[in-house]
Amino acid sequence: MPEVVFEARDLGLTLPAADGPREILAHVDFTLAAGEILTIVGASGTGKTSLLRILAGLAAPSRGALTYRGKPVDGPQDGVAIVFQDYGNALLQWRSVARNVALGIERQFKGEALRSRVTEALQLVGLERNANDYPWQLSGGMQQRVQIARAIAMRPAVLLMDEPFGALDAMTKATQQDELLRLREATGASVIFITHDIEEAIYLGDRVALLSGSPGAITHRFEVGLPFPREQVTTREMPRFVDLRHELHEAIRATGGH
Amino acid sequence: MRLRELLPGPGGLLLFFGAWEVGVRSGALQYEYLPAPSVIARAFAGMAAGADLWDEVGHTLVATLLGWLIACGAGTAIGVLLGLSAKARRYTLASIEMLRPLPGIAFAPLALLLFGFSLQMELLVIVAPVLWPALINSMGGVAAVSERLTEVARTLRMKPLATVTTILLPAAAPSILVGARLSLTLALIMAVAAEMIGNPVGLGYAVVREQQSMHPDRMFAYVLVMGALGIALDAGLRGVARLLLPGEFSRPAPQWGRS
Repeated sequence: MPEVVFEARDLGLTLPAADGPREILAHVDFTLAAGEILTIVGASGTGKTSLLRILAGLAAPSRGALTYRGKPVDGPQDGVAIVFQDYGNALLQWRSVARNVALGIERQFKGEALRSRVTEALQLVGLERNANDYPWQLSGGMQQRVQIARAIAMRPAVLLMDEPFGALDAMTKATQQDELLRLREATGASVIFITHDIEEAIYLGDRVALLSGSPGAITHRFEVGLPFPREQVTTREMPRFVDLRHELHEAIRATGGH
Repeated sequence: MRLRELLPGPGGLLLFFGAWEVGVRSGALQYEYLPAPSVIARAFAGMAAGADLWDEVGHTLVATLLGWLIACGAGTAIGVLLGLSAKARRYTLASIEMLRPLPGIAFAPLALLLFGFSLQMELLVIVAPVLWPALINSMGGVAAVSERLTEVARTLRMKPLATVTTILLPAAAPSILVGARLSLTLALIMAVAAEMIGNPVGLGYAVVREQQSMHPDRMFAYVLVMGALGIALDAGLRGVARLLLPGEFSRPAPQWGRS
């Protein structure tokens, strides 16, 4: 039985709104095992981003318990790195690619040690030749890889990703998905990947959790069980993939999703 | 290519002075005290050969830079602190909005009473209004930094001080620079004004003096020297900014005033 990294038990979130308190999340339960990719799929308005902010320690849940390696999460945790959807806001536009990647480790490491960790992270995302470029000189997909490299440079045990490929075109998105799977092989990091794209959730996940309803709750869980390495064309044509996609659509319809 | 890019700016000026010259010489512009640009140029050549002009430029330059350094330094420091704390802004904004519209030149009589004809008098007249552009722009710049960037800092486990120095200040730098530029221009204006109505030295006093001694050509020459000084100060500040913020200036657009 692999070690449990994250465990959420009956998480709920209520936020004040103009017309009184509004329930954003209710009954969110899941566990994340070491080395696994858990994808959480949900339509807009189901509280996906709120959930990720809670997991990242940027917001506190109103109810329930969230633990990271057995300890309650009371803020951002060592070993947990976040990749935000809006890379344009999350990158430091005035810093070169290499210095963006160095941001999280430049206080612990100096000189050659820092340089080699940055280069290693850039190689993992295939950007070693863009080290001296500025983010605005890169395409959207490359900018998002800079953000992923910045997270990887921290050597995280867990990557939390909030619709990281949501703003990318279909072809770039497919490439990025394969790179993420490769990256997981290379680093052994666990990943929580939040998305609204059902096929992406199946393609990337070891397991898929469906977040649905308003307030959002995790209503269905699926073991994906598709073989690795996955391949954009053949994996998506496997009967298991097609079945899962069908089941997920059915489940979303049944829970009143869109 | 470069010449063609550079031409339109000075081209407009040349056209303006050319029209002025023709206007005066042809008699279309008939004012007793409006000399032609060529006459002003000759007066300037005479002034530039002497020492007085450079002493006067030196005085106004020192007053402007000193006043600007004090005002812009204090204004930016206060602005950054206010930008960091929404609570501090809530308690101070009303006072700032009340003080800010006070015309700086209204401090001149008070400054004269306090300090007499002195550099301190000039500095008071400069600092009081020049504080605001620096304060408002740096405050707005820091407050407007995307919340995403502070979240990035938190998730990268950065300490608060490191967050300010490596993320918030660089992110707000374009706005801070806008404040610095606006306040530098204003500092020159206030220095000249203070010299015109108060401390009788420098370029401001020289303009008044030449006017009263009926030398419109020299008076115009002084006005143009002030314009040149303003352009030189701004260019100097841009040059320094370019050195400090290489990433910002290699960006295509927008540069100044990016939010």
